Amino acid sequence: MKQSLRSWLWRVPVDQEVDEELAFHLEMRTRELIAAGMDPAAARETAINRLGDVARLKRACVDIGRKRDREMRLTQWLEEFRDDVRFAARQLAHAPAFTLVAALTLALGIGATTAIFSVVHAVVLRPLPFPEPDRVMSVGEDWQGRVSSASVGNFTDYRTHLKSFSSLAAKQFVSYNLAEGDQPERIVGGRVTHTWFDVIGIAPLYGRVFTADEDKPGNDRVVVLSHRLWTRRFGANPSIVGRVVRLNSEPYAVLGVMPPQFDITSDSEELWTPVAFTAAQMAEHDEHFLECIGRLAPSVSVEQARAELRTLYPQMQAQYPGNNQVKLGVLKPFQETLVGDYRQRLLVLLGAVSLVLLIACGNVANLLLARGGLRAREIALRAAVGAGRGRIVRQLLTETLVLALAGAALGLALAWVAVPVLVASSPEGVPRLEQAGLDSVVLAFALGAAFLSALVAGLAPALRTARTDLRATLNEGGRGGTAGRDRLRTALVALEVALALMLLVGAGLLVRSALNLQRIDPGFDPRGVLSARITLPEARYDNPTRLVRTFEELAERLAQAPGVEAAALNSQGPLVPGGSSNGLLPAGKPFSSDAVTQSALNIVTLDYFRTMRIPLKRGRLFTGDDRRGAPLVMVVNESAARGLFPGEDPIGKQVGCCEGGPDNPRYKTIIGVVGDTRSSGPAEDAEPEFFLPIEQSPDIAWRWIQNSMTLVARSRTGDAGALINIARGAVRAIDPTVPLFQVRTMEQRMQTALAQARFNTLLMLLLGSIGLVLAAIGVYGVIAYFVAQRQQEIGIRMALGAKGPDVVRMVVRQGMQPVVLGIALGLAAALAASRLLTAYVHGVTTTDPLTFAAVVALLGTVALVATALPARRAVRIDPTRVLNSM
Amino acid sequence: MTLMQKTTNALLHGTLDALILKTLDGAPRHGYAIARFIEDTTDEAVVVEEGSMYPALYRMERRGWIEAEWGTSELGRRAKFYRLTDAGRAQLATETAMWARFAAGVSKVLLETA
Repeated sequence: MKQSLRSWLWRVPVDQEVDEELAFHLEMRTRELIAAGMDPAAARETAINRLGDVARLKRACVDIGRKRDREMRLTQWLEEFRDDVRFAARQLAHAPAFTLVAALTLALGIGATTAIFSVVHAVVLRPLPFPEPDRVMSVGEDWQGRVSSASVGNFTDYRTHLKSFSSLAAKQFVSYNLAEGDQPERIVGGRVTHTWFDVIGIAPLYGRVFTADEDKPGNDRVVVLSHRLWTRRFGANPSIVGRVVRLNSEPYAVLGVMPPQFDITSDSEELWTPVAFTAAQMAEHDEHFLECIGRLAPSVSVEQARAELRTLYPQMQAQYPGNNQVKLGVLKPFQETLVGDYRQRLLVLLGAVSLVLLIACGNVANLLLARGGLRAREIALRAAVGAGRGRIVRQLLTETLVLALAGAALGLALAWVAVPVLVASSPEGVPRLEQAGLDSVVLAFALGAAFLSALVAGLAPALRTARTDLRATLNEGGRGGTAGRDRLRTALVALEVALALMLLVGAGLLVRSALNLQRIDPGFDPRGVLSARITLPEARYDNPTRLVRTFEELAERLAQAPGVEAAALNSQGPLVPGGSSNGLLPAGKPFSSDAVTQSALNIVTLDYFRTMRIPLKRGRLFTGDDRRGAPLVMVVNESAARGLFPGEDPIGKQVGCCEGGPDNPRYKTIIGVVGDTRSSGPAEDAEPEFFLPIEQSPDIAWRWIQNSMTLVARSRTGDAGALINIARGAVRAIDPTVPLFQVRTMEQRMQTALAQARFNTLLMLLLGSIGLVLAAIGVYGVIAYFVAQRQQEIGIRMALGAKGPDVVRMVVRQGMQPVVLGIALGLAAALAASRLLTAYVHGVTTTDPLTFAAVVALLGTVALVATALPARRAVRIDPTRVLNSM
Repeated sequence: MTLMQKTTNALLHGTLDALILKTLDGAPRHGYAIARFIEDTTDEAVVVEEGSMYPALYRMERRGWIEAEWGTSELGRRAKFYRLTDAGRAQLATETAMWARFAAGVSKVLLETA
């Protein structure tokens, strides 16, 4: 009683409460003073004076009163919430089957969504682990629609002219041969400017980083180790600082060790040496191999920096004509560069998994509706003892929330198991993926998903249940509810079907695309070919003649080994990372961006085409006569031929590239055209490519490719793995100190190249299947409910002579109406959404009619079965029993 | 305002809370009755400053020491009655003990040096 009186009191606005209270006080005091003999006017004045400044007093009281009411409302809300939660827990415990099914359904949805979110969070959303990461920008330039690396000259100009950055840095990826102990190892390192550490903004863990002075030629035999390398190879021993390690057979003094957060990804570089630009390099504007980053100066916006870069480029073009033609500076957040196109890929996946969660919510809503019908009496009773509709809705929603929280707890357990599996089975090279896990942000996400699911699944059923007509229900003895045309349930079926259709279309498109990829001809024959990388250290292989002789000797030795059908070396084999590209310009054409065909450079030994089985389309291949000193020749692939001489026969035409100047152009004559190869994998289009015989390779090119070649050998038996030891033996015979690395069969490389597509397909297929099963359960549940509601009607019809099949048809027809509506809705939505997959499908459009038709057929069939099952049960009912129960 | 006066007011401030709580210990009363009761009982030695009594009532209600409900006054007017809560009773005990200690201490100084 006290409780209700207080809640009544709260509805009096505070200022009215204060007014009334003070007025009462004044009246009482005045009365008393009059009774004591004072005259009424004086009495009133005295009473007011005793209270003091009435307006101020009132303000003070109202102020405190408001705070009091706020706190009390919160307290009451919390108390009611606590009561609701207890009540809900009891209610749920009394219906274990319902609770289990609903909680498991939500667990599946929330768990899958949370698992995918944890990946999205790790890879895309989480800021990089250094100070103000959003101020660190990648600075590059636009080259025929792509972001290219910068030349040393351009980087020098950035540093001189750009005022928007407090610090600019550049990095060149190099691979080092680290000889420490008895195991030589290839290590990816970065040759960086000393400012690299400033831009990132992280201090070393031990020792120091290099100074501007050490970043100069001659002083640059110093190295900073990554935490990863330091732990892996040096036993995390701090005393390594000051010692000397041998990189590519040369001594480098260890200056310091970086902390773990400097290892941004698991495959980022493992050590840093000074890049130490020479004066000649700083004047060079044509060789683009530097990754540039910069930290924005305080209070400079990204837009301002971008504008500054835009004005710098025309100046650079004017200053170095012929080198910086029609180029534009590009600026984007370093994090974006790092994450690349995984951002959209993962967001699409997150979208797909939220569709699964929505379907799960649909099913739970359906269960709640059924349960609400059963509880009509209880609800009516509670309404009868004075609980308002809002209060009942709140209680029902709390019950759903308890369910959803239980589902989230189960879902987190599911995600805890699923995330490591997801990480382990995902393709290589997804940046920061290994850092995915269940941290506080992911927990908060799961909690949010639970609240949202509770609202989505619970609101409509709660409103429906609370609307239950009191008198009708109590009179009718509890059978009530809202039978007959049930719009809410119909809508649920339609929505679930629509969502499932979207998922299945996505999965279907990816499956078709994956099948296409398996069939795509890569342009060479990967079966039975072994490939491996080899680098000859600069210290001992310092002149091009020696390099060429050694590589040729290796190719010959390998070709003559038993079991080898053919062998060759090349600078940029298909599916092998690395290499460089150059602009090709037909002889006599003036330089312009449009005239240049940017093509991959591939320096090859004679048997390369035969080893890879790349077909000759026109002209001839290289022979032993195309040696140093002979007329310069090149072979191009069809894409390069089309780019250079569209509609013309390229054979015999002259092309400038790679070396020479206006006075000595060193043109090369095209002698042959070979078929295109998909060098970046079956999913990527073939790029223009040109081939030079190793003996005629420009001296400067050895620096571009860092003395590294790829060895390819074709097995006579088709067993590429059997060639591994033979290849190692051949390398050992030529130079025992040089390691062979990245040893893989070409078929393995094909699998790796397809791994991303296969992984996406598998995930979408998994999500699509879960969606289909959930939607089928949803449809089944609703139809079963309809049939149960209409048992009497069906019984009467059958008693009046209706045949079983007629009744089944009637029920199915009615059940399929929302399914058809859902399919129509889903088709429209899928047509709009499937565009997001454009970048990930190959050989199939995102509106592929075959896929859409197959999905509609599959979904329609499943829904038909889900409707027919309860319909068939309905006709097996004994009519007399139904009629008797009336 | 001098420092001395401030201290006195602060002292009275706490005392006012204690007096109100004590007044409500017997039965629920409205604000005016509380003021009258204190005046009567202390023979008007303590004059309740009405301007601070009402904010004190609201403050104590917010703290949960007292609670209010509307009732009918002796003259048939609607009035807001305050009653002591359990928390208020505990607070009264604390304040009474504190006052006793304080009064004893002050007495010792004043009476023994006199």
